[in-house]
Amino acid sequence: MSETKKLSVNYAACIGCETCEYVCRFANETPRIHMARTRSGLMVPLYCHHCEDPHCVKVCKQGAIVVDAQGVVLLNTMLCRGCDSRQCIQACPYAAMFETDKGVMLAKCDLCAARRRAGLEPACAEMCPTGAILYAVPETLKKAETPESLAAVERVLAHIRGK
Amino acid sequence: MRGMNFNFLCGEPPRPNGRNVGIIGAGPSGLAAAGLLSCQGYQVEVYDKLPKPGGLMLFGIPGHRIPKERIETGTRRMAKRYGVIYHTRTKVCCSAPLHEEEGDHFCADMRGLADLLEKHEAIIICSGSWKSRRLGIPGESLPGVYAGIQFLFPIRAVQYTAPNVKVPDVVGKRVMVIGAGHSAVDVAHSALSLGAAEVCMVYRRSRKEAPCGTYEIQRLEDMGVRWRELTTPMRFLGQDTVEGVEVSEKVVDEQGAMVERTTVIPAEVVVTAIGEIATPPFAKELGLENVRRGEVRWLNMTAIENVFVAGDALSGPSKIGKAVYSGLRAARSLANWLDLKAQNRQHEFTGDLMARSPEPTGSHGAV
Ligand SMILES: Cc1cc2nc3c(=O)[nH]c(=O)nc-3n(C[C@H](O)[C@H](O)[C@H](O)COP(=O)(O)OP(=O)(O)OC[C@H]3O[C@@H](n4cnc5c(N)ncnc54)[C@H](O)[C@@H]3O)c2cc1C
Repeated sequence: MSETKKLSVNYAACIGCETCEYVCRFANETPRIHMARTRSGLMVPLYCHHCEDPHCVKVCKQGAIVVDAQGVVLLNTMLCRGCDSRQCIQACPYAAMFETDKGVMLAKCDLCAARRRAGLEPACAEMCPTGAILYAVPETLKKAETPESLAAVERVLAHIRGK
Repeated sequence: MRGMNFNFLCGEPPRPNGRNVGIIGAGPSGLAAAGLLSCQGYQVEVYDKLPKPGGLMLFGIPGHRIPKERIETGTRRMAKRYGVIYHTRTKVCCSAPLHEEEGDHFCADMRGLADLLEKHEAIIICSGSWKSRRLGIPGESLPGVYAGIQFLFPIRAVQYTAPNVKVPDVVGKRVMVIGAGHSAVDVAHSALSLGAAEVCMVYRRSRKEAPCGTYEIQRLEDMGVRWRELTTPMRFLGQDTVEGVEVSEKVVDEQGAMVERTTVIPAEVVVTAIGEIATPPFAKELGLENVRRGEVRWLNMTAIENVFVAGDALSGPSKIGKAVYSGLRAARSLANWLDLKAQNRQHEFTGDLMARSPEPTGSHGAV
Protein backbone atom coordinates (compact mmCIF):
# COMPACT_ATOMS: atom_id res chain seq x y z
CA MET A 1 0.00 0.00 0.00
CA SER A 2 1.10 3.53 -0.76
CA GLU A 3 2.88 5.61 1.87
CA THR A 4 1.54 8.84 0.43
CA LYS A 5 -0.97 10.69 2.54
CA LYS A 6 -4.35 11.21 0.94
CA LEU A 7 -7.58 12.94 1.81
CA SER A 8 -10.70 11.26 3.07
CA VAL A 9 -13.94 12.94 4.08
CA ASN A 10 -15.96 11.21 6.77
CA TYR A 11 -19.41 12.10 5.46
CA ALA A 12 -20.97 10.87 8.68
CA ALA A 13 -19.21 13.65 10.60
CA CYS A 14 -19.46 16.33 7.89
CA ILE A 15 -22.08 19.00 8.54
CA GLY A 16 -21.93 20.54 5.07
CA CYS A 17 -20.62 23.91 6.27
CA GLU A 18 -18.57 24.59 3.09
CA THR A 19 -15.41 25.61 4.94
CA CYS A 20 -13.33 23.15 2.88
CA GLU A 21 -14.48 24.66 -0.41
CA TYR A 22 -13.95 28.22 0.77
CA VAL A 23 -10.46 27.75 2.23
CA CYS A 24 -9.53 25.86 -0.95
CA ARG A 25 -10.79 28.86 -2.91
CA PHE A 26 -8.68 31.17 -0.77
CA ALA A 27 -5.56 29.01 -1.02
CA ASN A 28 -5.89 28.09 -4.71
CA GLU A 29 -8.11 30.75 -6.34
CA THR A 30 -10.26 28.10 -8.02
CA PRO A 31 -11.57 25.56 -5.52
CA ARG A 32 -10.84 21.90 -6.16
CA ILE A 33 -13.22 20.54 -3.57
CA HIS A 34 -16.86 21.32 -4.27
CA MET A 35 -20.10 21.18 -2.37
CA ALA A 36 -22.97 19.28 -3.96
CA ARG A 37 -26.54 19.20 -2.71
CA THR A 38 -27.94 15.69 -2.84
CA ARG A 39 -31.56 15.18 -3.78
CA SER A 40 -32.43 14.68 -0.14
CA GLY A 41 -30.89 18.04 0.67
CA LEU A 42 -27.56 17.05 2.22
CA MET A 43 -24.62 19.30 1.42
CA VAL A 44 -21.53 17.20 0.78
CA PRO A 45 -18.04 18.02 -0.51
CA LEU A 46 -16.88 16.10 -3.60
CA TYR A 47 -13.13 15.66 -3.98
CA CYS A 48 -10.40 13.71 -5.72
CA HIS A 49 -9.53 10.41 -4.07
CA HIS A 50 -6.22 10.11 -5.94
CA CYS A 51 -7.13 6.58 -7.03
CA GLU A 52 -4.48 3.87 -7.32
CA ASP A 53 -5.51 3.19 -10.90
CA PRO A 54 -7.19 6.42 -12.02
CA HIS A 55 -9.72 6.35 -14.87
CA CYS A 56 -9.19 10.03 -15.61
CA VAL A 57 -5.53 9.39 -16.52
CA LYS A 58 -6.51 6.64 -18.92
CA VAL A 59 -9.17 8.58 -20.81
CA CYS A 60 -7.31 11.89 -21.23
CA LYS A 61 -6.12 11.98 -24.85
CA GLN A 62 -3.84 14.94 -24.20
CA GLY A 63 -1.93 13.09 -21.52
CA ALA A 64 -2.68 16.08 -19.31
CA ILE A 65 -3.44 14.02 -16.22
CA VAL A 66 -0.53 12.19 -14.71
CA VAL A 67 0.33 10.30 -11.57
CA ASP A 68 3.49 11.56 -9.89
CA ALA A 69 6.07 9.44 -8.13
CA GLN A 70 4.18 9.71 -4.85
CA GLY A 71 0.90 8.56 -6.39
CA VAL A 72 -0.70 12.01 -6.48
CA VAL A 73 -2.92 12.53 -9.51
CA LEU A 74 -2.00 15.84 -11.12
CA LEU A 75 -3.47 17.96 -13.90
CA ASN A 76 -0.92 19.49 -16.22
CA THR A 77 -2.73 22.70 -17.00
CA MET A 78 -0.42 23.43 -19.93
CA LEU A 79 -1.58 20.29 -21.72
CA CYS A 80 -5.29 20.41 -20.83
CA ARG A 81 -7.30 21.56 -23.82
CA GLY A 82 -10.66 21.48 -22.10
CA CYS A 83 -11.81 19.19 -24.90
CA ASP A 84 -15.52 18.92 -25.78
CA SER A 85 -15.81 15.27 -24.88
CA ARG A 86 -14.95 15.99 -21.22
CA GLN A 87 -13.87 12.37 -20.89
CA CYS A 88 -12.13 12.89 -17.60
CA ILE A 89 -15.22 14.45 -16.04
CA GLN A 90 -17.30 11.50 -17.16
CA ALA A 91 -14.71 8.97 -16.08
CA CYS A 92 -14.27 10.13 -12.48
CA PRO A 93 -16.30 7.92 -10.12
CA TYR A 94 -16.18 10.66 -7.45
CA ALA A 95 -17.29 13.58 -9.66
CA ALA A 96 -14.10 15.37 -8.68
CA MET A 97 -13.05 16.99 -11.98
CA PHE A 98 -14.45 20.49 -12.01
CA GLU A 99 -15.14 22.68 -15.00
CA THR A 100 -14.18 26.30 -14.56
CA ASP A 101 -14.75 29.48 -16.48
CA LYS A 102 -11.21 30.64 -15.83
CA GLY A 103 -8.29 30.37 -18.28
CA VAL A 104 -7.77 26.74 -17.41
CA MET A 105 -10.86 24.74 -18.26
CA LEU A 106 -10.53 22.27 -15.46
CA ALA A 107 -9.63 22.23 -11.82
CA LYS A 108 -8.62 19.24 -9.78
CA CYS A 109 -7.12 18.67 -6.36
CA ASP A 110 -3.33 18.29 -6.19
CA LEU A 111 -3.39 17.83 -2.40
CA CYS A 112 -2.24 21.46 -2.12
CA ALA A 113 1.04 20.81 -3.95
CA ALA A 114 2.36 24.33 -3.41
CA ARG A 115 1.56 24.17 0.29
CA ARG A 116 3.15 20.75 0.63
CA ARG A 117 6.33 22.11 -0.91
CA ALA A 118 6.32 24.69 1.86
CA GLY A 119 5.87 21.96 4.49
CA LEU A 120 2.14 22.60 4.99
CA GLU A 121 -0.79 20.21 4.71
CA PRO A 122 -3.91 20.50 2.54
CA ALA A 123 -5.88 23.56 3.62
CA CYS A 124 -9.29 21.86 3.72
CA ALA A 125 -8.20 19.28 6.28
CA GLU A 126 -6.51 21.91 8.43
CA MET A 127 -9.59 24.09 8.71
CA CYS A 128 -12.51 21.63 8.78
CA PRO A 129 -14.50 22.63 11.89
CA THR A 130 -15.68 19.09 12.61
CA GLY A 131 -12.46 17.23 11.85
CA ALA A 132 -14.29 15.25 9.17
CA ILE A 133 -11.46 15.61 6.65
CA LEU A 134 -8.52 13.35 7.32
CA TYR A 135 -5.15 13.63 5.63
CA ALA A 136 -3.24 10.45 6.28
CA VAL A 137 -1.70 7.35 4.73
CA PRO A 138 -4.27 4.93 3.25
CA GLU A 139 -3.77 2.45 6.06
CA THR A 140 -4.72 5.03 8.68
CA LEU A 141 -7.68 6.17 6.59
CA LYS A 142 -8.87 2.59 6.36
CA LYS A 143 -8.62 2.17 10.12
CA ALA A 144 -10.72 5.28 10.67
CA GLU A 145 -13.66 3.83 8.72
CA THR A 146 -16.80 3.06 10.70
CA PRO A 147 -20.11 1.48 9.67
CA GLU A 148 -21.61 4.99 9.75
CA SER A 149 -18.91 6.52 7.58
CA LEU A 150 -19.16 3.70 5.04
CA ALA A 151 -22.93 4.02 4.87
CA ALA A 152 -22.57 7.77 4.41
CA VAL A 153 -20.09 7.30 1.55
CA GLU A 154 -22.56 4.96 -0.10
CA ARG A 155 -25.27 7.62 0.08
CA VAL A 156 -22.97 10.15 -1.58
CA LEU A 157 -21.86 7.70 -4.28
CA ALA A 158 -25.47 6.77 -5.00
CA HIS A 159 -26.17 10.46 -5.54
CA ILE A 160 -23.22 10.81 -7.93
CA ARG A 161 -24.28 7.75 -9.95
CA GLY A 162 -27.84 8.95 -10.06
CA LYS A 163 -26.83 12.13 -11.87
CA MET B 1 -8.05 15.57 18.63
CA ARG B 2 -6.16 18.09 16.50
CA GLY B 3 -7.72 21.52 16.49
CA MET B 4 -8.89 23.61 13.60
CA ASN B 5 -5.70 25.16 12.30
CA PHE B 6 -6.55 28.85 12.00
CA ASN B 7 -2.88 29.38 11.18
CA PHE B 8 -3.09 27.09 8.17
CA LEU B 9 -1.43 29.72 5.95
CA CYS B 10 1.95 29.53 7.66
CA GLY B 11 4.22 27.06 9.41
CA GLU B 12 6.46 28.45 12.12
CA PRO B 13 5.32 31.70 13.74
CA PRO B 14 6.79 34.66 11.84
CA ARG B 15 8.84 37.48 13.29
CA PRO B 16 6.63 40.23 14.72
CA ASN B 17 6.02 43.02 12.21
CA GLY B 18 5.41 45.58 14.91
CA ARG B 19 1.77 46.19 14.00
CA ASN B 20 -1.23 45.70 16.22
CA VAL B 21 -4.73 44.78 15.05
CA GLY B 22 -8.00 44.34 16.94
CA ILE B 23 -10.77 41.94 15.97
CA ILE B 24 -14.26 42.20 17.40
CA GLY B 25 -15.90 38.78 17.55
CA ALA B 26 -14.27 35.35 17.86
CA GLY B 27 -16.54 33.36 15.56
CA PRO B 28 -15.25 31.60 12.44
CA SER B 29 -14.76 34.88 10.53
CA GLY B 30 -12.86 36.62 13.33
CA LEU B 31 -10.72 33.57 14.08
CA ALA B 32 -9.87 33.06 10.40
CA ALA B 33 -8.85 36.73 10.17
CA ALA B 34 -6.80 36.38 13.35
CA GLY B 35 -5.07 33.33 11.86
CA LEU B 36 -4.06 35.10 8.66
CA LEU B 37 -2.83 38.24 10.40
CA SER B 38 -0.92 36.40 13.13
CA CYS B 39 0.73 34.41 10.31
CA GLN B 40 1.97 37.71 8.92
CA GLY B 41 3.51 38.84 12.16
CA TYR B 42 0.72 41.06 13.46
CA GLN B 43 0.01 41.25 17.15
CA VAL B 44 -3.67 40.29 17.14
CA GLU B 45 -6.12 40.95 19.97
CA VAL B 46 -9.61 39.46 19.73
CA TYR B 47 -12.54 40.83 21.75
CA ASP B 48 -15.60 38.70 22.43
CA LYS B 49 -18.50 39.14 24.79
CA LEU B 50 -18.62 35.41 25.51
CA PRO B 51 -16.38 33.50 27.92
CA LYS B 52 -14.65 31.50 25.15
CA PRO B 53 -13.62 32.09 21.55
CA GLY B 54 -15.59 30.12 18.94
CA GLY B 55 -18.76 32.11 18.24
CA LEU B 56 -21.72 30.13 17.01
CA MET B 57 -19.47 27.11 16.39
CA LEU B 58 -19.27 26.80 20.17
CA PHE B 59 -22.41 28.53 21.45
CA GLY B 60 -25.03 27.96 18.77
CA ILE B 61 -24.49 24.74 16.86
CA PRO B 62 -24.96 21.70 19.13
CA GLY B 63 -21.86 19.86 20.29
CA HIS B 64 -22.71 16.60 18.60
CA ARG B 65 -22.26 18.35 15.25
CA ILE B 66 -19.08 20.33 16.00
CA PRO B 67 -16.81 18.78 18.66
CA LYS B 68 -15.90 21.43 21.18
CA GLU B 69 -12.29 20.15 21.41
CA ARG B 70 -11.74 20.91 17.74
CA ILE B 71 -12.47 24.59 18.39
CA GLU B 72 -10.82 24.86 21.80
CA THR B 73 -7.57 23.19 20.76
CA GLY B 74 -7.46 25.41 17.68
CA THR B 75 -7.98 28.68 19.50
CA ARG B 76 -5.54 27.70 22.25
CA ARG B 77 -2.87 26.87 19.68
CA MET B 78 -3.31 30.26 18.05
CA ALA B 79 -2.78 31.95 21.42
CA LYS B 80 0.18 29.84 22.50
CA ARG B 81 2.17 29.67 19.28
CA TYR B 82 1.10 32.80 17.45
CA GLY B 83 0.57 35.13 20.37
CA VAL B 84 -3.07 35.98 19.70
CA ILE B 85 -4.67 37.54 22.78
CA TYR B 86 -8.34 36.92 23.57
CA HIS B 87 -10.27 39.46 25.63
CA THR B 88 -13.33 37.41 26.51
CA ARG B 89 -16.42 38.66 28.35
CA THR B 90 -15.78 42.01 26.71
CA LYS B 91 -18.45 43.66 24.63
CA VAL B 92 -17.51 46.36 22.19
CA CYS B 93 -20.15 48.98 22.44
CA CYS B 94 -22.96 48.97 21.03
CA SER B 95 -25.77 49.57 18.63
CA ALA B 96 -28.08 47.49 20.81
CA PRO B 97 -28.36 48.28 24.51
CA LEU B 98 -26.63 45.83 26.82
CA HIS B 99 -28.66 42.75 27.82
CA GLU B 100 -30.73 42.87 24.70
CA GLU B 101 -28.88 40.20 22.78
CA GLU B 102 -28.19 36.59 23.65
CA GLY B 103 -24.86 36.24 25.35
CA ASP B 104 -24.77 39.70 26.90
CA HIS B 105 -25.10 38.02 30.31
CA PHE B 106 -21.43 37.20 30.33
CA CYS B 107 -20.05 40.69 29.77
CA ALA B 108 -17.76 41.94 32.46
CA ASP B 109 -16.24 44.72 30.42
CA MET B 110 -17.38 47.20 27.79
CA ARG B 111 -15.12 48.92 25.32
CA GLY B 112 -15.91 51.69 22.92
CA LEU B 113 -14.94 51.49 19.30
CA ALA B 114 -13.00 54.74 19.68
CA ASP B 115 -10.83 53.26 22.47
CA LEU B 116 -10.05 50.32 20.27
CA LEU B 117 -9.13 52.53 17.33
CA GLU B 118 -6.69 54.35 19.52
CA LYS B 119 -5.11 51.14 20.67
CA HIS B 120 -4.97 49.32 17.33
CA GLU B 121 -3.84 50.36 13.88
CA ALA B 122 -6.87 48.72 12.35
CA ILE B 123 -9.94 46.79 13.39
CA ILE B 124 -12.10 44.10 11.85
CA ILE B 125 -15.69 43.78 13.04
CA CYS B 126 -16.72 40.11 12.96
CA SER B 127 -19.61 40.26 15.37
CA GLY B 128 -21.93 37.87 13.55
CA SER B 129 -25.67 37.94 13.32
CA TRP B 130 -27.33 37.18 16.64
CA LYS B 131 -30.61 38.98 16.81
CA SER B 132 -33.42 36.57 16.09
CA ARG B 133 -36.02 37.41 13.52
CA ARG B 134 -39.53 37.45 14.95
CA LEU B 135 -42.77 36.28 13.38
CA GLY B 136 -44.62 39.40 14.47
CA ILE B 137 -47.87 37.63 15.35
CA PRO B 138 -49.98 38.06 18.52
CA GLY B 139 -48.78 36.38 21.70
CA GLU B 140 -45.13 36.17 20.69
CA SER B 141 -43.99 37.70 23.99
CA LEU B 142 -45.73 35.04 26.12
CA PRO B 143 -43.36 33.12 28.41
CA GLY B 144 -42.54 29.79 26.80
CA VAL B 145 -42.08 31.32 23.34
CA TYR B 146 -38.38 31.39 22.43
CA ALA B 147 -36.38 32.46 19.42
CA GLY B 148 -33.88 29.97 17.96
CA ILE B 149 -30.61 31.22 19.45
CA GLN B 150 -32.40 32.20 22.67
CA PHE B 151 -33.31 28.52 23.07
CA LEU B 152 -30.01 27.00 21.91
CA PHE B 153 -27.50 29.42 23.41
CA PRO B 154 -28.05 28.55 27.11
CA ILE B 155 -27.75 24.82 26.42
CA ARG B 156 -24.08 25.23 25.58
CA ALA B 157 -23.41 28.34 27.64
CA VAL B 158 -24.63 26.90 30.94
CA GLN B 159 -21.29 25.21 31.59
CA TYR B 160 -19.77 28.68 32.04
CA THR B 161 -21.30 30.16 35.15
CA ALA B 162 -23.17 33.39 34.64
CA PRO B 163 -26.32 34.77 36.17
CA ASN B 164 -29.52 34.25 34.19
CA VAL B 165 -28.25 31.46 31.99
CA LYS B 166 -30.71 28.57 32.37
CA VAL B 167 -31.33 25.66 30.06
CA PRO B 168 -34.93 25.89 28.79
CA ASP B 169 -37.14 23.54 30.73
CA VAL B 170 -38.78 21.18 28.25
CA VAL B 171 -38.93 17.98 30.30
CA GLY B 172 -42.28 16.28 29.75
CA LYS B 173 -43.53 19.20 27.68
CA ARG B 174 -44.86 19.47 24.17
CA VAL B 175 -42.46 21.51 22.04
CA MET B 176 -43.27 23.15 18.73
CA VAL B 177 -40.47 24.31 16.43
CA ILE B 178 -41.32 26.82 13.74
CA GLY B 179 -39.05 26.81 10.68
CA ALA B 180 -37.10 24.28 8.63
CA GLY B 181 -33.54 25.54 8.44
CA HIS B 182 -30.44 24.27 10.22
CA SER B 183 -31.27 26.05 13.44
CA ALA B 184 -34.79 24.58 13.46
CA VAL B 185 -33.28 21.09 13.10
CA ASP B 186 -30.85 21.83 15.92
CA VAL B 187 -33.69 23.04 18.15
CA ALA B 188 -35.82 19.95 17.47
CA HIS B 189 -32.86 17.70 18.13
CA SER B 190 -31.93 19.50 21.35
CA ALA B 191 -35.53 19.50 22.61
CA LEU B 192 -35.68 15.72 22.18
CA SER B 193 -32.41 15.12 23.96
CA LEU B 194 -33.45 17.43 26.81
CA GLY B 195 -36.45 15.20 27.43
CA ALA B 196 -39.40 16.85 25.69
CA ALA B 197 -42.53 14.69 25.66
CA GLU B 198 -43.35 15.54 22.04
CA VAL B 199 -41.68 17.63 19.39
CA CYS B 200 -43.43 18.87 16.29
CA MET B 201 -41.91 20.91 13.51
CA VAL B 202 -44.06 23.37 11.62
CA TYR B 203 -43.16 24.76 8.22
CA ARG B 204 -45.24 26.96 5.96
CA ARG B 205 -44.01 25.41 2.72
CA SER B 206 -43.61 21.78 1.68
CA ARG B 207 -41.04 19.23 2.76
CA LYS B 208 -39.30 19.44 -0.61
CA GLU B 209 -38.77 23.16 -0.17
CA ALA B 210 -37.31 22.91 3.34
CA PRO B 211 -33.82 24.45 3.45
CA CYS B 212 -32.59 21.68 5.76
CA GLY B 213 -33.44 19.02 3.13
CA THR B 214 -35.59 15.91 3.23
CA TYR B 215 -32.83 13.72 4.65
CA GLU B 216 -32.67 15.76 7.85
CA ILE B 217 -36.46 15.73 8.14
CA GLN B 218 -36.52 11.97 7.72
CA ARG B 219 -33.89 11.63 10.43
CA LEU B 220 -35.89 13.74 12.85
CA GLU B 221 -39.03 11.75 12.05
CA ASP B 222 -37.15 8.54 12.78
CA MET B 223 -36.35 10.00 16.19
CA GLY B 224 -40.03 10.71 16.80
CA VAL B 225 -40.43 14.32 15.67
CA ARG B 226 -43.77 15.07 14.04
CA TRP B 227 -43.43 17.05 10.78
CA ARG B 228 -46.29 19.37 9.76
CA GLU B 229 -45.88 21.15 6.47
CA LEU B 230 -47.93 23.83 4.66
CA THR B 231 -48.72 25.12 8.12
CA THR B 232 -48.52 28.80 9.04
CA PRO B 233 -48.67 30.02 12.65
CA MET B 234 -51.34 32.73 13.14
CA ARG B 235 -51.11 33.48 16.86
CA PHE B 236 -49.83 32.15 20.14
CA LEU B 237 -52.50 31.20 22.67
CA GLY B 238 -52.39 31.20 26.45
CA GLN B 239 -52.86 33.40 29.50
CA ASP B 240 -49.69 33.53 31.60
CA THR B 241 -47.60 31.22 29.47
CA VAL B 242 -48.00 29.75 26.02
CA GLU B 243 -50.46 26.86 25.77
CA GLY B 244 -50.73 26.37 22.05
CA VAL B 245 -50.52 27.89 18.62
CA GLU B 246 -53.35 28.65 16.24
CA VAL B 247 -52.20 27.66 12.78
CA SER B 248 -53.60 27.78 9.31
CA GLU B 249 -52.83 24.61 7.41
CA LYS B 250 -53.42 23.52 3.86
CA VAL B 251 -54.98 20.07 3.61
CA VAL B 252 -56.63 17.97 0.94
CA ASP B 253 -60.40 17.56 1.54
CA GLU B 254 -62.65 14.60 0.57
CA GLN B 255 -63.07 15.94 -2.95
CA GLY B 256 -59.31 16.04 -3.37
CA ALA B 257 -59.17 19.83 -3.35
CA MET B 258 -56.60 21.83 -1.39
CA VAL B 259 -58.36 23.76 1.35
CA GLU B 260 -57.15 25.92 4.19
CA ARG B 261 -58.32 25.31 7.72
CA THR B 262 -57.53 26.71 11.11
CA THR B 263 -56.55 24.45 13.99
CA VAL B 264 -54.88 24.71 17.34
CA ILE B 265 -51.74 22.76 18.12
CA PRO B 266 -51.18 22.50 21.87
CA ALA B 267 -47.63 23.22 23.06
CA GLU B 268 -46.04 24.40 26.30
CA VAL B 269 -42.82 25.51 24.59
CA VAL B 270 -42.64 27.11 21.17
CA VAL B 271 -39.39 28.01 19.39
CA THR B 272 -39.39 30.29 16.37
CA ALA B 273 -36.27 29.35 14.40
CA ILE B 274 -36.74 31.52 11.37
CA GLY B 275 -33.33 33.13 11.06
CA GLU B 276 -31.28 35.94 12.49
CA ILE B 277 -30.43 39.49 11.58
CA ALA B 278 -27.07 41.19 11.94
CA THR B 279 -26.64 43.81 14.67
CA PRO B 280 -23.07 45.02 14.31
CA PRO B 281 -22.10 47.92 16.54
CA PHE B 282 -22.51 51.25 14.70
CA ALA B 283 -24.11 49.85 11.54
CA LYS B 284 -25.06 53.32 10.30
CA GLU B 285 -21.82 55.13 11.06
CA LEU B 286 -19.91 52.34 9.36
CA GLY B 287 -22.00 52.61 6.19
CA LEU B 288 -22.52 48.86 6.09
CA GLU B 289 -25.11 49.03 3.32
CA ASN B 290 -22.45 50.39 0.98
CA VAL B 291 -19.97 47.74 2.01
CA ARG B 292 -22.60 45.10 1.27
CA ARG B 293 -23.11 46.48 -2.20
CA GLY B 294 -19.37 46.57 -2.74
CA GLU B 295 -19.30 50.37 -2.96
CA VAL B 296 -16.20 50.95 -0.90
CA ARG B 297 -12.82 52.60 -1.12
CA TRP B 298 -11.12 49.41 -0.19
CA LEU B 299 -12.32 45.81 -0.05
CA ASN B 300 -14.22 45.17 3.23
CA MET B 301 -13.34 48.60 4.66
CA THR B 302 -16.18 50.57 6.21
CA ALA B 303 -16.86 54.30 6.05
CA ILE B 304 -14.54 54.70 9.04
CA GLU B 305 -10.94 54.48 7.92
CA ASN B 306 -9.04 51.46 9.25
CA VAL B 307 -12.25 49.72 10.34
CA PHE B 308 -13.08 46.60 8.34
CA VAL B 309 -16.02 44.24 8.55
CA ALA B 310 -16.47 40.55 7.68
CA GLY B 311 -18.59 37.45 8.18
CA ASP B 312 -22.26 37.34 9.08
CA ALA B 313 -22.05 40.87 10.49
CA LEU B 314 -21.66 41.95 6.88
CA SER B 315 -23.61 39.37 4.90
CA GLY B 316 -26.36 38.41 7.33
CA PRO B 317 -26.79 34.78 8.40
CA SER B 318 -24.77 32.48 6.16
CA LYS B 319 -22.58 29.49 6.86
CA ILE B 320 -19.27 28.82 8.53
CA GLY B 321 -17.46 28.44 5.20
CA LYS B 322 -18.60 31.79 3.88
CA ALA B 323 -17.78 33.48 7.18
CA VAL B 324 -14.26 32.00 7.15
CA TYR B 325 -13.70 33.14 3.56
CA SER B 326 -14.99 36.61 4.33
CA GLY B 327 -12.69 36.88 7.37
CA LEU B 328 -9.69 35.77 5.33
CA ARG B 329 -10.42 38.28 2.57
CA ALA B 330 -10.96 41.13 5.00
CA ALA B 331 -7.71 40.30 6.80
CA ARG B 332 -5.77 40.20 3.54
CA SER B 333 -7.34 43.46 2.49
CA LEU B 334 -6.46 45.06 5.82
CA ALA B 335 -2.83 43.93 5.53
CA ASN B 336 -2.59 45.33 1.99
CA TRP B 337 -4.15 48.57 3.12
CA LEU B 338 -1.75 49.09 6.03
CA ASP B 339 1.26 48.16 3.89
CA LEU B 340 0.41 50.56 1.11
CA LYS B 341 -0.60 53.30 3.49
CA ALA B 342 2.75 53.01 5.22
CA GLN B 343 4.37 53.65 1.85
CA ASN B 344 1.80 56.33 1.04
CA ARG B 345 0.84 54.36 -2.06
CA GLN B 346 -2.78 53.44 -1.30
CA HIS B 347 -4.09 55.42 -4.28
CA GLU B 348 -2.10 53.48 -6.85
CA PHE B 349 -3.80 50.22 -6.15
CA THR B 350 -7.39 50.98 -5.34
CA GLY B 351 -8.80 49.92 -8.70
CA ASP B 352 -7.31 46.51 -8.34
CA LEU B 353 -8.12 45.84 -4.75
CA MET B 354 -11.60 47.28 -4.57
CA ALA B 355 -14.51 44.93 -4.23
CA ARG B 356 -15.53 43.66 -7.60
CA SER B 357 -18.52 41.78 -6.36
CA PRO B 358 -20.54 42.26 -3.22
CA GLU B 359 -20.25 39.66 -0.49
CA PRO B 360 -22.29 36.54 -1.12
CA THR B 361 -25.46 36.53 0.92
CA GLY B 362 -27.45 33.59 2.12
CA SER B 363 -29.61 32.31 4.89
CA HIS B 364 -29.93 29.09 6.76
CA GLY B 365 -33.14 30.13 8.44
CA ALA B 366 -36.48 29.99 6.73
CA VAL B 367 -40.07 30.57 7.64
C1 LIG C 1 -28.54 27.27 15.44
C2 LIG C 1 -27.60 27.52 14.31
C3 LIG C 1 -27.17 26.46 13.55
C4 LIG C 1 -26.29 26.65 12.50
N1 LIG C 1 -25.86 25.57 11.79
C5 LIG C 1 -24.94 25.74 10.81
C6 LIG C 1 -24.43 24.63 10.09
O1 LIG C 1 -24.82 23.49 10.30
N2 LIG C 1 -23.51 24.84 9.13
C7 LIG C 1 -23.05 26.10 8.86
O2 LIG C 1 -22.19 26.25 8.01
N3 LIG C 1 -23.52 27.17 9.52
C8 LIG C 1 -24.46 27.04 10.48
N4 LIG C 1 -24.94 28.13 11.14
C9 LIG C 1 -24.43 29.46 10.75
C10 LIG C 1 -23.03 29.76 11.29
O3 LIG C 1 -22.97 29.44 12.64
C11 LIG C 1 -22.69 31.22 11.06
O4 LIG C 1 -22.87 31.54 9.71
C12 LIG C 1 -21.23 31.54 11.43
O5 LIG C 1 -20.94 31.15 12.76
C13 LIG C 1 -20.95 33.04 11.27
O6 LIG C 1 -19.65 33.33 11.69
P1 LIG C 1 -19.24 34.77 12.20
O7 LIG C 1 -17.82 34.67 12.59
O8 LIG C 1 -19.57 35.77 11.17
O9 LIG C 1 -20.16 35.07 13.46
P2 LIG C 1 -20.46 34.29 14.85
O10 LIG C 1 -20.12 32.86 14.77
O11 LIG C 1 -21.84 34.66 15.18
O12 LIG C 1 -19.47 34.97 15.87
C14 LIG C 1 -19.61 36.30 16.27
C15 LIG C 1 -18.94 36.52 17.60
O13 LIG C 1 -18.96 37.92 17.90
C16 LIG C 1 -19.27 38.13 19.26
N5 LIG C 1 -19.84 39.46 19.39
C17 LIG C 1 -20.98 39.92 18.82
N6 LIG C 1 -21.16 41.22 19.11
C18 LIG C 1 -20.13 41.60 19.88
C19 LIG C 1 -19.76 42.82 20.51
N7 LIG C 1 -20.49 43.93 20.36
N8 LIG C 1 -18.64 42.84 21.26
C20 LIG C 1 -17.88 41.71 21.41
N9 LIG C 1 -18.17 40.53 20.84
C21 LIG C 1 -19.29 40.47 20.07
C22 LIG C 1 -20.22 37.00 19.58
O14 LIG C 1 -20.19 36.71 20.96
C23 LIG C 1 -19.66 35.84 18.75
O15 LIG C 1 -18.72 35.07 19.47
C24 LIG C 1 -25.84 27.95 12.18
C25 LIG C 1 -26.29 29.04 12.94
C26 LIG C 1 -27.17 28.84 13.99
C27 LIG C 1 -27.65 30.02 14.77
